[in-house]
Amino acid sequence: MKNEIIFSGIGGQGTILMGKMVCTAAAKKGLNVTLSPAYGQEKRGGRASCQVVISEEMGSPIIGEADTILVMDEKSFDDYESKVKPGGTLIINSSMINKKADRTDIKVLEIPFTEIATEVATARSANMVALGAVVKTMHIVDLEDAKAVVAAKMKPALVEANIKALEAGYHFDEK
Amino acid sequence: MGEKVFMQGNEAFAESAIRSGCKYFFGYPITPSSEIPEYYAKKAPEEGLVFIQAETEVSAFNMVAGVAATGKRGMTATSGPGFSLGCEAMSYMSAASLPSVIVDVMRPGPADGEILGSQGDYFQLTKGGGHGDYRTIVLAPYSVQEYADFAPLSFELAEKYLNPVVVASDGTLSKMMENVVLPGRSQGPARQDWAVDGMHGRSHRNDITTCGDGPEQWEKFNLHLQAKYAQIRENEQRWEEYNTDDADIIIVAFGVYSRVCMDAMKMAREKGLKVGLLRPITLWPFPVKAFEKFSGKKYFVTELNSGQMVEDVKLAVKDTDRDNVEFYGRLGGITPSPMEIYNKLCELYL
Repeated sequence: MKNEIIFSGIGGQGTILMGKMVCTAAAKKGLNVTLSPAYGQEKRGGRASCQVVISEEMGSPIIGEADTILVMDEKSFDDYESKVKPGGTLIINSSMINKKADRTDIKVLEIPFTEIATEVATARSANMVALGAVVKTMHIVDLEDAKAVVAAKMKPALVEANIKALEAGYHFDEK
Repeated sequence: MGEKVFMQGNEAFAESAIRSGCKYFFGYPITPSSEIPEYYAKKAPEEGLVFIQAETEVSAFNMVAGVAATGKRGMTATSGPGFSLGCEAMSYMSAASLPSVIVDVMRPGPADGEILGSQGDYFQLTKGGGHGDYRTIVLAPYSVQEYADFAPLSFELAEKYLNPVVVASDGTLSKMMENVVLPGRSQGPARQDWAVDGMHGRSHRNDITTCGDGPEQWEKFNLHLQAKYAQIRENEQRWEEYNTDDADIIIVAFGVYSRVCMDAMKMAREKGLKVGLLRPITLWPFPVKAFEKFSGKKYFVTELNSGQMVEDVKLAVKDTDRDNVEFYGRLGGITPSPMEIYNKLCELYL
């Protein structure tokens, strides 16, 4: 069992936070987790991404292709559409990305994270909607595991709204 | 053994060093090492640590020499440009037989270069860097767990041999987060009889010097150091092997980059290429013993530099195998993916 996930967006969108939350939940299950962050050198608007490897044995922290890739902005979409493994999933933040994926050998989920977040909480919880969608796709940690991490990591006042956003992302494609 | 925590490489090392009784940290911030001083600074008040942000690495390394001379555990952490400045103190600490720990979080040079992962300081760390005939033990961790484990190990080796120990980390490992079991608490060593920490009940004054008193005396002093290095070479070569028994081709790679090669090895094996992996853990002493049992093998040495460790591999392999040592390197902070290494293996051997 090995699962490779890439989270990519702009600094401030919480891509690395999402990666950390997935890893924390997976680590609690006794799995090996590796998160390699990458930051652009720009002070604002730079790339913030992380590669996450979850497996039963130690492996490469550097990955060429991933099972699941979440892209939060258009530049990330341009860079990462080709890096999804055949049969993998590309999750697109359609609130900020107007392009359509060309690939037909992967599953593509277009989710308007900001709109959903605004509906159930505030726009600032868009990344928790995204996290919900990722958790659903990767089949390693379940919704309850993710909720527990959100509850443990966030300020008490923010937990309820963020869990609502997480649930909305998780249940998105059931509508 | 404690609970598993999910932690960044640099922070795990810093926490582990604090738990190992290293109460003194001197440093000057530089990416990608800065989380180590930051962590020490943050923990200093509650843990009763001494943290000084020096005005330059020259001072920081010499402050480490100072605290080491008192027999207490002290360290610094830096990256290549800072290590270059500290090399004067590395030479003096080596001559004075001072047990200290220095972390070099390698980034690609020369000069300021870039801030990503690199292995370009291999020569600097293993062949000297500073002046004179000295050697320092160099440990290269490949996971956050090993990075944390090397904090107590570095101090133990430094104190066993009275010698500086360098931990060769890099821009990738330092920022990476993994689950790690941190070591238990230790107070560090008891009062050292050689230390310059005041007489306090001792009948003699200790004196630590790095000054020669004539060539004969200084040669004798140097031979004493060389005898120590020979002992370290004999006792401390460390390495790990994966699938080498039946391998036709042995990848030689160190640090976190060796894990990229591990994945490439698995891919190549699925393709029918009998590939193994040898991971040097001590870069000095280089694990020449690991190569003694091999004959008729092909070696694929890969590093994040233009070819530095490959020279040591060529010296370590059998004379008859020397022409079968291939090298592949990437520069500038690029770490290849497992697929890139796999493709290179296929290109060379399939």
